[in-house]
Order: sequence, then structure tokens, then C-alpha cells
Amino acid sequence: MKLSLRINGAARQVEVDGDTPLLWVLREELGLLGTKFGCGAAFCGACTVLMGDVPVRSCSLPVSEVGDGAVTTIEGIAGREAMAVQRAWIAGDVPQCGYCQSGQIMGAIALLKATKRPTDSDIDQAMSGNLCRCATYVRIREAIHAAARDLEGPR
Amino acid sequence: MIARDGEITLGLSQPEVGQGSYTVLPQILADELDADWQRVKVRFVTGRDAYKIAFKNEPPVQKEGASMSTTVLYARLRTAGAQAREVLIRAAADHWKVTADQCRADKGFVVGPQGQRLSYGALAAAAAKLPLAASPPLKQRADFALIGKPLARLDTVAKCTGTAVFGIDVVVPGMLYGAIQSAPSFTGSLTAIRNEAEILKLPGVRAIVRLPAVHVANEEPGSQHPGTAQSPRHNAVCVVADRFWQAKRAAEALDLVFDPGAGGDLSTAKIDGLLQTAMMADKTVTAVETGRPREILQERASSIIERRFTVPHVTHAPLEPVNATASWKDGAVEVWGPIQAVATCQDAIVASLGIKADAIKLNVTFLGGSFGRKIVPDYVVQAVHASKAVGRPVKLIRTREQDLRHGIFRVNAGGRFRAVLDQRGYPLAVQARVVGQSLFGATRKSWLDQTPEGAWDESMVDGIYNQDYRLPNFLVETVDTPLPVPVYFMRSVGSTAAVFFWESFISELAHRAGIDQYIYRRELLADNPLALRVLDAVAEAAQWKSPPTSGMARGISYNCYVGRGGRFRTYVAQVVELEPVGDRLAVKRVFCAVDPGLTVNPNTLTAQIQGGIGFAMTTALLSRITFANGGAEQSNFLDYPLLAIDGMPEIVPIILPSDRPPQGFGEVVLAPLAPAIAQALLLASGRRIDSMPLPAAAFRRPT
Repeated sequence: MKLSLRINGAARQVEVDGDTPLLWVLREELGLLGTKFGCGAAFCGACTVLMGDVPVRSCSLPVSEVGDGAVTTIEGIAGREAMAVQRAWIAGDVPQCGYCQSGQIMGAIALLKATKRPTDSDIDQAMSGNLCRCATYVRIREAIHAAARDLEGPR
Repeated sequence: MIARDGEITLGLSQPEVGQGSYTVLPQILADELDADWQRVKVRFVTGRDAYKIAFKNEPPVQKEGASMSTTVLYARLRTAGAQAREVLIRAAADHWKVTADQCRADKGFVVGPQGQRLSYGALAAAAAKLPLAASPPLKQRADFALIGKPLARLDTVAKCTGTAVFGIDVVVPGMLYGAIQSAPSFTGSLTAIRNEAEILKLPGVRAIVRLPAVHVANEEPGSQHPGTAQSPRHNAVCVVADRFWQAKRAAEALDLVFDPGAGGDLSTAKIDGLLQTAMMADKTVTAVETGRPREILQERASSIIERRFTVPHVTHAPLEPVNATASWKDGAVEVWGPIQAVATCQDAIVASLGIKADAIKLNVTFLGGSFGRKIVPDYVVQAVHASKAVGRPVKLIRTREQDLRHGIFRVNAGGRFRAVLDQRGYPLAVQARVVGQSLFGATRKSWLDQTPEGAWDESMVDGIYNQDYRLPNFLVETVDTPLPVPVYFMRSVGSTAAVFFWESFISELAHRAGIDQYIYRRELLADNPLALRVLDAVAEAAQWKSPPTSGMARGISYNCYVGRGGRFRTYVAQVVELEPVGDRLAVKRVFCAVDPGLTVNPNTLTAQIQGGIGFAMTTALLSRITFANGGAEQSNFLDYPLLAIDGMPEIVPIILPSDRPPQGFGEVVLAPLAPAIAQALLLASGRRIDSMPLPAAAFRRPT
């Protein structure tokens, strides 16, 4: 079927089977390879993208259900929270193998858009669906706190 | 390679799986080269003898594993850097008509006697024509500019912007996609495809390809269990389609008939039965025997302390499922993928496709985790067969289910430990028996240690046969229980099981003796200053001598990780703290003291401590593969869960300075974690834990 999608602020036309998950449309039709395939069942979070400000698992979302939702991938992140998160991730040298990190970053952006100064428990709740086999969790937690401080600006 | 503009590109023979080789190995070379670190770029390289390494006596090949990259390449990289620096200086001296010793290197420039400067870029062409010195002078440690500094990883920006290219991200013009269905049992073979014509009509589907079984550890195909080595047989089917989703859906719709083969009755009950029998067997292979352990244990049979333990098979589960892209053309093939061992991969293609090694070109991408899994190139060979069948490039991606259920596993193990104590409560005689599927027996018979009684596999007793405690009478035995389960090396190999058994048994002995766990280990390590140093460091950091706070449970453990062939010794000691959370105890903080030799990069080393302990948390608390009808039962992260951020403890790393060269590090912090947790629960509640994953019930708060 022919679909018009809003991806990273631009209208994109694709022609795919309607049950194709958004993940594969992003990767194979649109060449947006930063969003990863990890489990195909919304258990691991490697495929996380934003729909508006909400994190969604693109591996389990049929593209036909995306409608006119504004999809943001790692390639299209912008805005204060996104830049703060990306800076903190780089400054904190968070990744090891790096495969899950696009999803982690998307999850962290969504968290900071919803919660200005997340507690450890907020982080646990928001980020427990984003698995990291290298277990970079110590640095992920530090980076989220650092990004939150950064967003508050100098006191 | 030094470009005219001064940009330096270093070819990296070792894959980047998250361990940090992409940064640390260039850091070593760049230091001796006196390169400007800001101008250093890295790319993965394959295909030359210079990239090959050996761990012990085996022929050198290009591979990463056994935590060897930094240990083995440290001297070679320093020499290479110094050689290049030396010819650049000579080239500058020739240009200025002065002697080389009047010139010095400075961050990408050579500086002459009058302070004149020439960049490496300007000198490179002339320097390349000069002969290299065989053993150029190396820097003193005090002169290191990069080694020892916590430099940021060179791959971080790419991995935070989604631009790092993993195997799954490779794009080759005209490529199709492949998805597979595999035989349910490890020894299965395909007998029929019932609906081939219908599947071929599904949208996008181009071909259905029968895939021949691939030896798991093809380095020594003769080592394989007979049930898995029978050849030729087909044990999987690949659907090739225009898009991956089309291929996956079609593969799932295949109606396949398999003969389960010789191992079709494999089950967890059967495997556990073999373990229990082997633990009590009369016939064993003696790995170590010092003093008179058998006699003393017999003489004092009534005072023997005995414990038995088991651990299940587990699996690597890297977050990037195995995948590869192959392009077959006129009898030659090019491959792109997350490949941990180039040589193994090449050999496997040669063996399965019958082509010459020089008809294969391999391109290594970033690896989205591996932990040993992506040394085994079964998925690469499958991609090559698929491409050959359709005559176009094919990217074959395993779904998580195909990756996990039909993947590669770490062996199981059982342990039976017996001891008698002397009057002071310390071990007088110890018998340590480890049984289970032998990794070397299944994959590398040439690595087995031969004795008149038979062969033993050092990986089964790693951390026991070479343990550090003072034991006057000591017996180490093994029993191999061969199984048709495809197994391979997994991060920390046998030590995760063996050290869990061993340290748990030492905890038991100290507990019975009524001696503090730290003091007990200290006494048994009294002759070993490097061991004492890490043990003391962790005890001090964790304030072991002060009683734990109310409700806290604490445990301490020690292990020296000895590299293959004795190539390195890395000392590790840990203290874990469990705190009450609701009605349970949870691991909240882990102190980890390490003596890693020279620390090349404290930043990546700290990440290895943090991440290694997190990895070990998954194995200790969550991981278990079970078997039925000849195959594994788990298939995704729902039934094979990984640690999430809410279970990650705070980590306190203590990195000790050392005059020794860099020792291996990628695997060393894993093994001591589980026994430290088990000890904490023993001390807090008196509960004895005899299996991994540690049973959830053991974490109930003591009442």
C-alpha cells in the first residue's frame, strides 16, 4: 500500500505491505539505519523512536497504524532535550558496543521531555525497557542526570 | 598510513565489540609514534600476516578472543609506532642535513636543532623509502603522552548519532534479504518442504534455499559430536526476498519436515541426569594432584565437608542478532558483517563452499555485541549459500528467535567438592571435581591436556586447577559428558561456573570454621603479595572490618584470571552489598579491585568493570537455557531475560597501579560476582545456594 509518513519533520512517501513494522520501513525504504533491530517483539528497546514526544517500539508498530504521527529517529533529533542528551552521552562516553544506544538516547529524550529532573526511580521506570547487553547502565544513568542538570542551566 | 595533510589512519586488525580496542590499540601505537591524537583515524583491516596473533602454541590467525588483544599486541604496536617515528625523524634529519639525534618528535611534527619543524604528512613519502629499524628505542613510562590517559573512545560520536555501521547496517547495491527457519533439534535434517510453491508466490519472495549444516567450531571439524558432524545434511531453509519483512513472514510460513536425528531426545532432564551421574562417577581424569589428598580424605571420611553445585547452559545473546551480507560472483565472494574472528570465518566458507581462501574478501563492521558468539561463522556461511543460490548480494538476518534458539551456547557444569579442615579450620585436603559438557572436547580437541587416564579440559576447571590458595593436599578432577549441544567460548569461558563453585566452597569452609571470609582468604593467600593487594584494597574500600549496616548482606570473593597459556594474570577481588528492597534483598553496590598491569586507558577499563559486572549479574540471576526434543526452548528476551537498568548496582572500581605490562581485562571481573552474592546470602540467612541462576527464593529477606 502507498503511505505518506511524517519522518524527522519531512513528508515521506512509501509503498510497502501494510503490516510491515515501522522499523523496517525506516531502515529499508528510507535508509534510516540508526534505529536498530534487536528482538522484534518490543522486549529490548533497540528500535525505539519518538512518536510526537512518546517513545514507541518501531519493531512492533505496523506502518499502516502510524498515520500522521510525527516520527523522530536518532537521525532527526533536535531541540533542547535532545541536544542535552546527546551531549551528555558523548561527554560520558556511554556506549560500548553501541548497538542499543540509539534506542537508549530516544528513551532518555522522551523521559526528559516528560520529567525535568528525573530521580533514579524515574530513570528505572522509564528506561527498563531498553536493554543493554554490555550493561552500560551506570553511564546511562549518569548521562541522564547530567543532561537534566544541563537543561536547568547555571544556577 | 600518513596522508600528506598529516591525517594518520591506523589499520585495526582487532574487531570492536564494545571492549574498546578501537581506541586503546591505536592509543598505544600513536603514543610511540608521537602522533597528534586529534588527527588519528581508525579503519578495520583484514588479509595480512601482520594482523595474526596466537594465544598459545597454535598457528597465528587474525582473531579476537581470550582477552588477548592488548596483552599480545602491546609490544608489537609500540615497536611499530617507534619504527615509524624513527624513520620520520631520519627523513627530517636528511632533509635538514643534520643527524637524527639532533631532532625529536612532537605531536605529528619533527623538530630540528634550530627549532625548525616538518609535519609527518610532509615527511611521510621520504620516510617510507627508509629501512625500518628492527628494535627502535621505546619510550620510558614517564614519557608516555597517551598511554595511561583516560582518552575518550574514538567510536563514541558515531554510536551516539546513529551513524556507526554495524553488520546489520551494510548496504550493497542490488541486495536482497534472507530470513531462515532452522531444524528444531540440533541434530536435525530437512526432509521436505511441503509448501514450496505457495511460499514462492508470496509478495517479494525470490527463492527458497536449502542450507547445509555448518560445523560450529570449524577449526577442528573432527572434534564435533558425531551427531552434529554428519554431512552433508541440510538443517535450515532460507527465504530470499526483496525486503526483510517479506523474507521473515515467508520463512515463518514454511511448512518444513525435519528428521530430529541422533540427538532428538535431548532434554534438560537427560542432561541433568548425566551431570549427577558424573559427579558421583568412579572414573575421572586427574588434572592436579598435590600432596596426599585421596589418603587424607579417606582417613578422615567422617569429618568431610561436601558441597555440590550445578550451572545450566547459557547463551551470549548479543543485542545485534547475527547477520551477514554476502555477494557471490563467478566463484568468488565478498562478505560484510559483524565478524569476531576473520580466520575462522574464512576457513568456514572454504570448508562449506569448496572455494579457495583467496576467492574470499571479508569486510569487518562494528559488532553489536558478541561475547564470543560472532567467532562462530555459521550465519556468514548461510549468507554465502543464499547469495550463491540467487546470484545477487543477500543480507541474511536472523530473527531473535532464530538467533537465540538455534544459536550457540556456553556449556553447563556440575561440581562436587569435598574437604577436611585442619585444627585451625583451614583446608587440609581438598577434592574438587567439575563435570559437564567439555568445551574443548566439543570444539578443540587439540587444546585438551592429555594424561594416561584420559584428557582434561582446563576451561572446565579454570580458576580451580590454577587457583592461588595455599592447599597442602589438593586434587582436581574432571568428567566430560559429551552432548549434541552446539557450544562455543563465551565471555569468561569456564571460569564463571568454576569460580562460582570454588569460591562458594571456600565460603562454606570459612563459615564452618567460624572465621571471617576476608581473614580466611587473606590467610590462604599469605604467600601471594599481588593477590593480597587486591583483596586488601577491596576490603578497605568497602570497610569490610566495620560491621555492615542494619539489614545489609555482604560477601567477598577473589579470583586471579589466568590468560590462555599463562599469557597474563589479572587479579580481581569484589565485595557485594545487598540491601533490603521490600521483602527482598537486592544487589545494590559492588566494589571491585583489580590489578590489570599497566592501565592503557582508565576510561575504557572502568567501562569494562562496570559492564562486566552487569553482564555477570545477568548470568548470576537470570540466565538459563533448557532443552526439549533435541533443541533449546528459549527464544527471546521474555524467556531469556537480560538485566535492565533497574537491577544494575552501583559500581565502585578500584584500579591498582602496576609495573607489569597490560594484562587481559575483557572477561576478568565476571566470575567473582555470583559467589560473592551467594556468600552474602549464606552469611545473612544461612541459606546455601548450589545453582545458578541463584534461585529467587534465596533473596527473600531473612525473618
